[in-house]
Amino acid sequence: MRSRSSLFGAAALLVGVAAGPAHAIGVPAGTAINNTAEVSYNVGTVTSSVSSNTVSVTVAEILDVVVTVQTPTVSVSPGAVAQLLRYRVTNTGNGPETFHLVMNNAIAGDQFDPVAASPAIYLDSNNNGTFDASDAPYTAGTNDPVLNADEFVTVFVRNDIPLAVVDTDTGRSSLNAESRTGTGVAGTTFAGQGAGGTDAVVGLTTASSTETGTYRVEAISIVANKTQVVADRWGGTRPVPGATINYTIVVNATGTGTATAALFTDNIPANTTFVPGSLRLNTAVLTDGADADAGAYEAAPTARVRVALGDISQAGGSQTIQFAVTIN
Amino acid sequence: MNPGKNIYIVAALIACSVSSQAFAQASACISLKSSAQVEEETTDAAGKKSVKLVQADKVVPGTVVIWTVTATNVCQKPSDQVTINNPVPTHMTYVADSATGPGSQITYSLDGKAFAPAAQLTVTENGAQRGATAADYKAIRWTFANSLQPGATVNASFRAVLN
Repeated sequence: MRSRSSLFGAAALLVGVAAGPAHAIGVPAGTAINNTAEVSYNVGTVTSSVSSNTVSVTVAEILDVVVTVQTPTVSVSPGAVAQLLRYRVTNTGNGPETFHLVMNNAIAGDQFDPVAASPAIYLDSNNNGTFDASDAPYTAGTNDPVLNADEFVTVFVRNDIPLAVVDTDTGRSSLNAESRTGTGVAGTTFAGQGAGGTDAVVGLTTASSTETGTYRVEAISIVANKTQVVADRWGGTRPVPGATINYTIVVNATGTGTATAALFTDNIPANTTFVPGSLRLNTAVLTDGADADAGAYEAAPTARVRVALGDISQAGGSQTIQFAVTIN
Repeated sequence: MNPGKNIYIVAALIACSVSSQAFAQASACISLKSSAQVEEETTDAAGKKSVKLVQADKVVPGTVVIWTVTATNVCQKPSDQVTINNPVPTHMTYVADSATGPGSQITYSLDGKAFAPAAQLTVTENGAQRGATAADYKAIRWTFANSLQPGATVNASFRAVLN
C-alpha cells in the first residue's frame, strides 16, 4: 500500500516532465541506473580520492496505452454493411506489452446503435493502414497485439448500419485497449510482472484507453406535393365531363447529399385523358415525345407522364412539374 | 557430502571479504557512501498526508530520485579541501536548484570535467549561445570550505528525474 502511494506521487510528476499523456515515456523497463560519487581531499600535503559504493536503481515497467480514432466521423447510408472505423492503439509505456481489445456499440448520446459485423475487429496485419484481405480478424486471447514501447497497431472495426435511420442520425462505436498485465489507477503496482522481472506500474492512462468513432447517416428524402385546379367549360370549377384538371407537382429534396437520376412518373387518372402539349418542368414546355427533353407522355402500357429530374439536392431547390387532363 | 567442510569454506570467504574492506578503509581517510531514495507519501487514518524518504529500488520514468552522498572522516587527522563529485546518472535529468550541501559551494559541469557556478555556464546551440539549464548539467561538485574533522560527516545531495 505504501509503495503504491509513492509511485502514484511519482507518476503524477510526469505531467510536468512529459509532453502529455499521449507522449511515450523514455527509459526502457529493466534499465539499471547506477550512481557512483567520488571525493577528493587533502590530509596534510597528501591529496587522495576515493569512490563511493555504486547505487543501482532499476527502471520499472510503466503500463500505458493510448487509443486514437483515425476516422472520427464516417458517412454512411441506411442499411450499409461492414462500415469501417479505423483506430490506432499505441503502447505509450516503456516496455513490451500485450493488449486486449474490446468494442462497444451501446453508447449514450446517439440516435442508433451500429451493429457489429462478423467478425467485427480486424488487425492491420500487413501494416499498410488499409483494410484488406490479408488483415486478420481479432480474437481476444488468441491474437492480442503485442507492442513494444512506442509501437502501434492499426485496428479496424466493422459495423452494419440499421435500415431504420434517417439523415443526420449518428451512431457511435468505441474501441477499448487494456494492458494485459493489468489496469487501475495510476501507481497501481504489479510486483515482478514488468519486463525482465521488474515491477509493472500503471501509468497516467490507467493502462486502459477508449476512443469513440461516429457513423453519421447521410440520406436524402424526396417529397412530391401534388395539387389540382379544375376548370369547367363555363368558367367554373365543377369536375364534370369535359372539364380540365390542371395538376401541379412540386418535388422537394430534403437531407444530406444528392439523389442521382431522379425520375418522376405520374399515371394519368382513370376516366381522364392527357392534354397533349401540357407537360411543363419549371414552366418550360416539354414535348410529349420521348426525345431530347426531360419529359414525355407515354400512352402504353399505362398512360402516364414521366420527367427525368436528374441529380437533385436540397440546395438545388424545388422542381415544379405541371400537366393537364380532361375528364372523359 | 561433508557439511562441516562446506561451512568452513563459507566462513573463510567471509573473513576474506571483511579483511579486504578493512584494508581499503585503512588507505582512505574518507568513507564515501552513496544512496538513492524516493519520496513516499502516506496518508494516516485521519487523512493527514506525510512524506518520507524510502530507499529507491525500482522506479518508473518520471520519478524523482534523491541521490545523497555522505562523506565521513574515518582518520585521526582532519581532511582539507574536501570535494565531492557526482555525475548526473545516465537516463536522468537534474532537477533545477535541487543540489544541497551545508557548508559547501556547489558548481556544475556540462562535460564532467570543467566546473563552474550555474550562472557562468553557457551552451552553444545552433550557433547561438544561451545560458545552461538544469537539463544540461552532467555533473555536480560540492566544495567544502571547512576541514572535515575526524569522525565528522558532511552530506551532499541532489534530485534527478528518470527520463
